[in-house]
Amino acid sequence: MAKFIGRRLLYLLPVLLAVTLLTFLIASLLPGDLAITLLGDQATPEKVEALRAQMGLDLPIWQRYLLWLWDVLHGDLGRSFRTGETVLAAVADRLPVSLELMVMAEVTALLIAIPLAILCAVKSGSATDRFLTGLAFGKLSLPPFMVAILLIYLFAVSLNLLPATGWIPFAEDPIANLRSFVLPALTLAIAEWPVLMRVLRSDMIATLQEDYIAMAKAKGLRPARILLVHALKPSSLTLVTVTGINIGRLIGGALIVEVIFALPGIGRLLVGAIYARDFIILQGAVLFVAVGFVMVNFVVDMLYAVLDPRIRHGRA
Amino acid sequence: MKTMFRAIALAASAAVLAGAPALAQKKGGTLTVGLELDIPGFDPLKVGVYDTSQNIAAALLLETLVKLDENGKAAPGLAASWSHSDDFKTWTFKLRPDVKFHDGTPFNAAAVKWNFDRQKDPKNNCRCAFYIAGTLAVEAPDDLTVVYKLKDPAVNFPVLLSRPDQNSTIHSPSAIQAKGDDYNRNLVGTGPFVLKSWTAGDRMVVERNPTYWDKDKISLDRVVLRPLPDSQSRFASLKSGETDLLWADEFEADNIERARKDPALQVLTYAGSGAAVSLFNTKVEPFDDVRVRQALVMALDRKKMSMAITNGLSRPASNPYGDGSWVKCKDDGALPEDPKKAAALIKEYGKPVKFKMLFTATPRGRANGQVLQQLWKNVGAEMEIEQVDQATIPARAFQRKFDVTPWRIVDFPDPDVQMFANFYSKSPLNLASFTNADLDKALEAARMTADEAKRTEAYCEASRLINQNATWFFTFQNTYYAMAKAKVKGVPKLYGGVIDVSHAWLE
Repeated sequence: MAKFIGRRLLYLLPVLLAVTLLTFLIASLLPGDLAITLLGDQATPEKVEALRAQMGLDLPIWQRYLLWLWDVLHGDLGRSFRTGETVLAAVADRLPVSLELMVMAEVTALLIAIPLAILCAVKSGSATDRFLTGLAFGKLSLPPFMVAILLIYLFAVSLNLLPATGWIPFAEDPIANLRSFVLPALTLAIAEWPVLMRVLRSDMIATLQEDYIAMAKAKGLRPARILLVHALKPSSLTLVTVTGINIGRLIGGALIVEVIFALPGIGRLLVGAIYARDFIILQGAVLFVAVGFVMVNFVVDMLYAVLDPRIRHGRA
Repeated sequence: MKTMFRAIALAASAAVLAGAPALAQKKGGTLTVGLELDIPGFDPLKVGVYDTSQNIAAALLLETLVKLDENGKAAPGLAASWSHSDDFKTWTFKLRPDVKFHDGTPFNAAAVKWNFDRQKDPKNNCRCAFYIAGTLAVEAPDDLTVVYKLKDPAVNFPVLLSRPDQNSTIHSPSAIQAKGDDYNRNLVGTGPFVLKSWTAGDRMVVERNPTYWDKDKISLDRVVLRPLPDSQSRFASLKSGETDLLWADEFEADNIERARKDPALQVLTYAGSGAAVSLFNTKVEPFDDVRVRQALVMALDRKKMSMAITNGLSRPASNPYGDGSWVKCKDDGALPEDPKKAAALIKEYGKPVKFKMLFTATPRGRANGQVLQQLWKNVGAEMEIEQVDQATIPARAFQRKFDVTPWRIVDFPDPDVQMFANFYSKSPLNLASFTNADLDKALEAARMTADEAKRTEAYCEASRLINQNATWFFTFQNTYYAMAKAKVKGVPKLYGGVIDVSHAWLE
């Protein structure tokens, strides 16, 4: 197992290097000039040149990348020129909000998807199955921003049950904190569950055809036990992959959801940085998200090995 | 007896009338305000220029020497009175003696001078310095006297110090020195409210300042400012009761219309001075020919543009002053909207009219561009949309690297600063590079007298010259909006788009 983890970690290095390079390139290729943004209305050509030189913006791009990478490796992601906040502090402030949102969204999505998938797999081909798969397909074509507004109008404006916007720290009021996450998490979960359900359903149908399930049935095990203990684990391999990949999609979805529901998370930080041309925050936050995504995939790989011993022995 | 009774009744009703607003003014409560943007901070050296969100917060926490009354005239703020030299180049302000910053240090002339010097210092390279270029120095001859030395005469100078912006608000020097980099998000002023807590991206909570010098006029206990970037959920938060008042602009025309129809809500509107404008670079072809410029202005159909962009909410403009200004012109010299005449002028010019116009790289910028493109195409001119980053527009304009560029005349309480900068031949900001002796004469006349009738006459003459020469054109007047619950009272006019809730109360 240790050897397996070590090998995977080694693969990670070039991926992370590519991620930093891409992040840096994207930020550099954005229209606009940091020096002009900083100087504002008094941006005379001489002043712009002087500031560019002072900030090292006149160096060739590969040189700037290496300098930036060097700083990043030393834990220095820079400081916002607008707020004076360091990137690390800005990200650390907002990370708990985004993490809570993503965990709640993913858990909600799984809570919806798993029972429905099992139901569909058991009754595959039935009217229920066809209705639910149809619903899932229809849901896939409804964008989250639309769902968010509909949920707000239903639960916040019409029924006045849940807040439309905002966030209360967990330490201050746990109930209010959870309430403020219900609609955003539901918005993301509504976008996620159809995918999860569909993969689990088809894997589960395949598993249920296996001989050992017939054997379990023959032994007279209770159907619930067969489904949840014998069939669910081997059927969930693809589900784990998709859940992992979905975290990446969730980060993208969280961007929109955090803006609509005014949650102070990483997504909001990114969007704000884009509007304000705060390149340093932007670059740092994108890097953080990208590295996070890579790490999630790494963990998913590890989980595979736990779920399926064939993988960790390199025989799959 | 009867007369006496009547006298008492009269006196009583007079007292009721006079007392009515005071009685209705309930003390206490929390007002939650929904803003559009996150507030990055308040240190002028860091943030450079305050946007509306910062202005709204600054109106609670910080103060200016002068305030604007309901007629847009100068009223005492941190300064109790003022006087000027005969040439209007030296202005002396007498400060209020009883004011302290929230950190307990005294507010005095030295503090005003320190704030100014810090921004003016070229070593600090502050973006804010641009806006105080007209003030040469600030002196503090004694504790309660501040003297402003100006480069040019300014007959209405006090009103220019009234906006709660990066330049005119007075911060505590000792707090800035003590907190250094952290001051940006831990500001200390003299205002009626004190910063209590601030969660970046979520909310800023300010509480009533118990030692405020004018505390009897302050009703609210607490104000919460929340950045809510999405306009639909922002409006939903007002409907569901999470917020009491929202910043709004004419680009959310549908929500404004809905709020107007809702008896539980109110819409606060202020028709400001100034306008959204565009200008031609008169040094490049084809705009060195007045016929082309006039044709493009006559081709405009502001009603159609307003319908296309803001559902008809935008108010057409034909001069630099607008309904909110005290400058009212019988004849501002506006060219007629006449596409036929425009097409004829283009034909008369003879050569093809092809050019680029700058727009911000936003969906809004593109929409504006497409509407103009269509209108101009109809009269035979070909405009190419060039979308650039917001910060690039001023930079390009200052280097005169443009054919046509959008600009804005801000809602200022006095037109002089912007008129002189934009239109005087020798001004470095004469972006259209247009020189005209009569225009210069009118602008000089307007700044040499404090007589409003004479100044109005001069400004209207200037407007006529600008319109006839079609160097700049005015599209829409500045209109500012806020939406609020009907129970929110006491919000003054939204000068410059700033929603000042410091003196508001909840009914």
